[in-house]
Amino acid sequence: MDFRFDIITDYMPFFLQGLKVTLGVSLAGVLAGLVLGLFIALGKMSTNRWVRLPFNIYINIFRGTPLLVQLLIIHFGIVPLFMSPSNPVISLVIGLSLNAAAYIAEIFRAGIQSIDKGQMEAARSLGMTRVQAMKLVILPQAFKRVIPPLGNEFIVLLKESSLGSVLAAPELMYWGRAAAGQYIRVWEPYLTVALIYLVLTLSLTYLMNYVERRLSTDDKR
Amino acid sequence: MISVKNLKKSFGDNEVLKDISLDVSPQEVVVVIGPSGSGKSTFIRCLNMLETIDSGHVIIDGKDLTDKKTNINEVRTDVGMVFQHFNLFPHKTILENITLAPINVRGVKKAEAEEKARVLLAKVGLAEKASAYPDSLSGGQKQRVAIARALAMEPKVMLFDEPTSALDPEMVGEVLEVMKQLAKDGMTMIVVTHEMGFAREVGDRVIFMDNGYVVEQNEPKALFDAPQHERTKAFLSKVL
Ligand SMILES: Nc1ncnc2c1ncn2[C@@H]1O[C@H](COP(=O)(O)OP(=O)(O)OP(=O)(O)O)[C@@H](O)[C@H]1O
Ligand SMILES: [Mg+2]
Repeated sequence: MDFRFDIITDYMPFFLQGLKVTLGVSLAGVLAGLVLGLFIALGKMSTNRWVRLPFNIYINIFRGTPLLVQLLIIHFGIVPLFMSPSNPVISLVIGLSLNAAAYIAEIFRAGIQSIDKGQMEAARSLGMTRVQAMKLVILPQAFKRVIPPLGNEFIVLLKESSLGSVLAAPELMYWGRAAAGQYIRVWEPYLTVALIYLVLTLSLTYLMNYVERRLSTDDKR
Repeated sequence: MISVKNLKKSFGDNEVLKDISLDVSPQEVVVVIGPSGSGKSTFIRCLNMLETIDSGHVIIDGKDLTDKKTNINEVRTDVGMVFQHFNLFPHKTILENITLAPINVRGVKKAEAEEKARVLLAKVGLAEKASAYPDSLSGGQKQRVAIARALAMEPKVMLFDEPTSALDPEMVGEVLEVMKQLAKDGMTMIVVTHEMGFAREVGDRVIFMDNGYVVEQNEPKALFDAPQHERTKAFLSKVL
């Protein structure tokens, strides 16, 4: 079998451009997902069941349906209501954020509920409101515990951003498919793309491990 | 100072407090004893609404906790609570544990709160631990910090729920010593404990609870030496 490195070198500028989009979209998705996810987690833990209900529905819908379906509905159904023509990168960011928020909300909720309930009681017994107790006592402790599962979620999100290629969002996978189509070749473009994803996820894994180690040594002060 | 009237409380079908009434005067030290499951913790937790009250009234310093208009957070700043398992904030230093609520709830300035915290720490004998973290302290030290933390809010009443039960025996004394000093300084205290020596020495009154009722109450000496009820006798014969 001949392996045509020239395809890879020809397409390298596009792959690098796609890499930038992949990173940008993933980062935006993570940040929006974190904020939204925390909000949903707190909503889902409300003491009022009617307040909890919409948050539960949200989480169930976004975790219970395929991301690809969500992206198609958002890109071809919802975003066109607000802009035309609809921009695939924007649709991708919205879809990834909304989807990640559902998973991140569950990560936050588990983290918050893993904190001993004596912490909340001690804070409340000192006269703090529920919000103060959350902000000053519970969340700072919960954040450390959610770092590992959040790391996993970031890696998942980075890989799932490749679904943007279906919407023709010019991210890494999109350019992989373009090269494959243009040269009618499988191995060169897809292997290259896979390798770039692998480097990204391994770097993220390494980074998360580093952060975790730092936090656990901090604990032993 | 504290007035409890016909307090009732159930968990589901399990009626844990069945009509409790009790008055505590300022500077009084009331010790609550009774067998496991008799409702002592539930009772003391009702006094700062860590448990909801089903019926009856709890009036603290003139404020009725069951009145919807009462701001419960405000009442809680007047009622210090010390827990069996300390519940210190592990992500904060000892000093921060003590200043957190005064700064954020009372609005005290940081420098002022810290100065006061150091005075309290010295009082419980832990001045040198200000910048340590809770994990590096022994159980007895943690509980003394927890007492200082509660005192920093300048409460009018202190509640203790088995403050020495989670401690190794050799650390019980140092915590009881701090509590004794507190009583001497005139703090109004309600103490759930199995430390009968403490009850006898420091208590103004001992309450014996069983099965959701206050069965008997009296001055320590009278209650320990001449219990009136069969159940009190049976309980005391086991613990004394
Ligand atoms: N949150 C709760 N939910 C349901 N039942 C509870 C709850 N807290 C306490 N109980 C029940 O209420 C009863 C009284 O409990 P409580 O903790 O007040 O007893 P106690 O006198 O403090 O006992 P101990 O000496 O073991 O601490 C027990 O039967 C207990 O199982
Ligand atoms: Mg108890």
